[in-house]
Amino acid sequence: MDILIISKYILIIAFMIMMIAALRASAYKTTSMGLLGSSVVVVAFAMALLVCGEMYNLTFYRDISLALIFFGFVGTVAFAVVAGGDK
Amino acid sequence: MIVEYIQSALLIIAAFLVIVSAVGLLSLSKDMKNAVYGRIHIVGIFDIACIIAMIGLGQYLLAGIYFIIAPFTAHAIANAFYKGEDVENNAKLGEIEEDDVDDSNPFIVPRSKVQELENEDSEKLKTDDRFTISTLDIVEEE
Repeated sequence: MDILIISKYILIIAFMIMMIAALRASAYKTTSMGLLGSSVVVVAFAMALLVCGEMYNLTFYRDISLALIFFGFVGTVAFAVVAGGDK
Repeated sequence: MIVEYIQSALLIIAAFLVIVSAVGLLSLSKDMKNAVYGRIHIVGIFDIACIIAMIGLGQYLLAGIYFIIAPFTAHAIANAFYKGEDVENNAKLGEIEEDDVDDSNPFIVPRSKVQELENEDSEKLKTDDRFTISTLDIVEEE
């Protein structure tokens, strides 16, 4: 088996572990931790999608992961501005 | 062939950093001071791991975009936490505005008055003053 394929599988497993850890972290009591955990979950999912699309030659995977990363950023910043208050 | 080895090395380094940041995110103690800022810092390691993985996969534009975007996210979350929830560091969040308390309303009492009542060593207030019972005298003739 090619070493590149093996490293991609290892990376996908690492992203799965990170998603579970971020889900646990998002359950902590402050709102900011929920925001942080959800943003990490979105980025980890986009990265896993990027690796899977590279492996199986999926179409549009790059566009979908770009959209997830970009709109995840926009949503996180918007919620952070609302949560911080207007003062 | 060499390019493949470099790519796989980058991906394995990224996977290692992702696992390290996942363990760090969960193992950080709740009782630690400023734990939220520490977790935001740990997520920064995850962001860099993602950028390394993107470079390893050949997505250079995506890596550049995420390299610019990631610090904005971290600063926005830290700023929101400081302004909204950080009671330890932000002194403004600990202040309570008592100007709005209406003295005529018997159900709303300022916190300082309640603390005085709860303090047993207070010499100003005797035990009888803590609870008062008011009665209405109804005269039938009226």
